[in-house]
Amino acid sequence: MRLFIITFLFLKIFSPAYANTIYYLTKIPNLEIHDLTASNGIKYLKAEKSFKVGFRENNVQCKNVNENDIKNKFDIIKKNFDKYDKKFLKKINLRYVVLCKNLKVAEIKTAGVPNHDMKTLIVNIKFDERYFERSMHHELFHIVEDSYKDLFSYKEWEKFNSPGFKYAKCSTCTNKLDLSLINDTKGFLTEYSMTTASEDMAEIFSFLMVGKKKLEDIALSDSVLNKKTIFLKSAILKIDNNFKFN
Amino acid sequence: MIEKVKQTTSEKLLLVLFIILGIITFYIFVVLPQKCLFVKNYDPKKIFFKNPENIAVLNINCGNIIIKLYPNISPKSVERFKMLVASGKYDNIAFHRVIKNVLVQSGDLEFGKKDNVNYLYIGKGKSGFGTIKSELNDDTEFKAGTVGMARTNKLNTEDSQFFILLEDAPLFKGEYTPIGQVVYGLEILDTITDDHRREYVLRPDFIKSFKLLID
Repeated sequence: MRLFIITFLFLKIFSPAYANTIYYLTKIPNLEIHDLTASNGIKYLKAEKSFKVGFRENNVQCKNVNENDIKNKFDIIKKNFDKYDKKFLKKINLRYVVLCKNLKVAEIKTAGVPNHDMKTLIVNIKFDERYFERSMHHELFHIVEDSYKDLFSYKEWEKFNSPGFKYAKCSTCTNKLDLSLINDTKGFLTEYSMTTASEDMAEIFSFLMVGKKKLEDIALSDSVLNKKTIFLKSAILKIDNNFKFN
Repeated sequence: MIEKVKQTTSEKLLLVLFIILGIITFYIFVVLPQKCLFVKNYDPKKIFFKNPENIAVLNINCGNIIIKLYPNISPKSVERFKMLVASGKYDNIAFHRVIKNVLVQSGDLEFGKKDNVNYLYIGKGKSGFGTIKSELNDDTEFKAGTVGMARTNKLNTEDSQFFILLEDAPLFKGEYTPIGQVVYGLEILDTITDDHRREYVLRPDFIKSFKLLID
């Protein structure tokens, strides 16, 4: 007990004083305001210096961005997040979008890191151009999912797949990380969809938001994908019956 | 006959050096510790207020900080705040969280009381009156001098702790409950003891008294 108290006191005394009120809201150091004018209430922040964050270890790291980095990307980013209205964002608890580059989680390059509790989504603005727009919706879906776990039952979802198919234990537990659209889908839009039920849902959601027509065409001849799409749409509409896909 | 001895140049230089040294010593040991020396104090009785019933006077070592409360913006929170001020609950409570040029935070009635500060739990104490709901709005700006109710990471956990901003914090709008604005004496808050290495202050400053202008 004494050891616990000493450790606790030590941590408390040596908690660094980050001279920034943004830190108190996001728990991410070295951020500054980029844009606060979005009509849906999203506050865009950017990394003025590199940062490392994480609960047990600082396993999430990202590098600072300069004006040139953001200049070309911000319109795309804003256009995509503008697809969500204020009411929906409030329901899913998303308020801050952090822009930085070369985002990594446990040394693995990633498109974004959602944090439902902190109302924050970190976006890697240097993510692969081919999937950049879709990746923002993919990551946003994880916030949706965290807010409404009951609506996105993995057990129900797994029933759509062919008997015998099993997801991996985690999204990075396999080498199947390709985000390009599979020619012969067989229930999965991308290779990454096959990693976990959560990523599978997020991939379909991202196509619903960017490339809905393509998804609908594929679903015409892929009954598994059709069922998954209907399931996902229905769950999202339960959160907000005015939600607009695409 | 006394012969007048002329000072040499090196003696003159030595004298100047001693004078400079004396001034520096005086500044370091006398002027600098007197952090209140250049701070203007405000006497609320000499100031006219349109709504004196919504004025609270926070007195600390270096003087008075005069706060205009927002009963129309955050009625429940201001009601709680006024009750705690009027009953003297904030007297002798520590400014336990001080971030230079950013904010000062106080109001932990359980673990922040003078002579009984609990450094292990300070900042997590309760008032005994229960929590109240957050009163958020998207219209009130959080500028330097804004007084807000502190809370945990979750909404509706406001109790007795409050913070005063020393810099503008536009992101706080819609996140925290605004309860008032410092109208006089914001610069006095800069004299509150901080520690640049950490948020939580060991040997903190305390509120001397916190009173409503009209009891």
